[in-house]
Amino acid sequence: MPKVASFRANSVIYFEGDVSDKIFVLQKGRVTLKYTDIETGADVHDMIAMGEFFGVKSALGRYPREENALVVEDAQVLVFAVPEFEQFASANSRIIIKMLKVFSNQLRRIHRQVENLMEKQEALSPEAGLFRTGEYYLKNRMYSQAKYVFGRYLTYYPAGKQAEVSARHLEAAETALVRYGDGKGPAIATGGSAFAPSRSQTAERNPEAPPRKPDPAPLSDAAKSYYNAVSLFSQEKYKEALGEFKAIMEGGGDSEYGPKAAFDFGRSLYMLQQYDLTIKHYTQMVQTAPRHPDLLDILLYLGHSWEKKGDVERAKGFYRKILSMEQDEDHATHIKARKSLKSLEEGARG
Amino acid sequence: MADLAAFTRFARVYQAGEIIFSEYEPGDSFYLIQSGRVKITKIVGEIEKTIDILQPPEIFGEMAILEGTPRSATAVALDSVKVLEFNRANFEVLMMGNPQIALRLMKLFAKRIYDQKRRFMILTLDDQQARVADVFLMLAETQAQVSAAAEQDGEKREFRVTVEDVAHWAGMSSQDVQAILAHFSNQRRVELYGDRIVVKNINDFSRFVSSRRKK
Repeated sequence: MPKVASFRANSVIYFEGDVSDKIFVLQKGRVTLKYTDIETGADVHDMIAMGEFFGVKSALGRYPREENALVVEDAQVLVFAVPEFEQFASANSRIIIKMLKVFSNQLRRIHRQVENLMEKQEALSPEAGLFRTGEYYLKNRMYSQAKYVFGRYLTYYPAGKQAEVSARHLEAAETALVRYGDGKGPAIATGGSAFAPSRSQTAERNPEAPPRKPDPAPLSDAAKSYYNAVSLFSQEKYKEALGEFKAIMEGGGDSEYGPKAAFDFGRSLYMLQQYDLTIKHYTQMVQTAPRHPDLLDILLYLGHSWEKKGDVERAKGFYRKILSMEQDEDHATHIKARKSLKSLEEGARG
Repeated sequence: MADLAAFTRFARVYQAGEIIFSEYEPGDSFYLIQSGRVKITKIVGEIEKTIDILQPPEIFGEMAILEGTPRSATAVALDSVKVLEFNRANFEVLMMGNPQIALRLMKLFAKRIYDQKRRFMILTLDDQQARVADVFLMLAETQAQVSAAAEQDGEKREFRVTVEDVAHWAGMSSQDVQAILAHFSNQRRVELYGDRIVVKNINDFSRFVSSRRKK
């Protein structure tokens, strides 16, 4: 049970630096908290309101008190030990929430003060930081982590400075993951990023590296809408992505992003489990664009779609076709086709 | 443990190795671990450092409740992990129904506020040598908190930190910190090793820092 305690005017309830597990509530009189503002060095007096708790933070964490609690007028306080306070607070959620808000305001304030004082070297923009995190994982062969981070980059910065590079890195990570698995295979060179290095050691590390490439040209409108759609796809918003890819395809005109969008339109259909439509779309693509750079993957999705529809023979046919077209056993699509074919053949046996 | 049965719709499962969130990613949710362990890492210079390994019923990502600040570290599932994911919108509902969690969060905030204030104290020092020395004082204080009974060899203290770590806390470049540490080493105040830094007289550092602090 909390105890009632009385203090005379001009006495001190606790001193700065004291360590104690006592928490107080003001019931009568006047108490002020005196402390030095860490930023300005000025003395601050905070008057405690009637019914207000004080000494909570230091008691909870058993930290030294940060202020002197001075009695201005004869005062009566309720004194809680930490377990008593916890018991009381558990039955009074509103009080905890109120305190949490006070704490979070204090935390926000001190956090900002610290940030402001940090040297500029630490101040990497979130966009640049995220990109560099992805590069780090890619370089260190942590492909699934790299895949996650570049996927996030495209989600948040579809028209970002590094959207195109991130999309390439994402693909490289996916490929390496299938081909070698996490932690294996060669490190993937990420090249210079367009973001300024935060520390000069970037240059020291690789003294013979060519000078950094200038920032890539700003993205064209076509590229922006394409990466916006890719971003939606990476967020698993396939329906929205589908609409965007369709618009790019139908907009015609763009020779680079039109065909890319056509491929991704099919992938979106597949993710939406529209297997008939996937087959229709890709079959048409194979006929009209037999030299599409993603042809092998198109065939793979055709195989998968047939497999989903239960037509194992046709699926196998597509997988075999891929294996005959691309004989490099380390090619990502070759590996995927080989795995799919194997599992179908084993399934038939089992 | 509080009764969280009503919150199953917030449950998320991560496989070992899967990233829960990445450093620099904007964040708007925080997590309560229900099972499995979560590793908190940060890329410092060219090394990914493990800052903490958390287990049930710990909370992480709580800074996101404050505002949409980017994540300051990466959270990775160490085993198969089950968490409850909350955001600012359902935060109050959770706290109202689970004062135990609210209390835990309150203690976490108290710790964060103290940690940040201590960091701030370092950064307000104008003298760069004092800043570096104060980083070691801060580390000595946390080490003392972790295990008051730990064997301490008189005034000598050993720290498992790198120059990069010290530079981070001092808010200085690694080069500057390296130079200052070399100077301290010449003065035989510290010993530098590949994986640790030894401060030969922590009280000497303490006196040095207070003499440089503005009164």
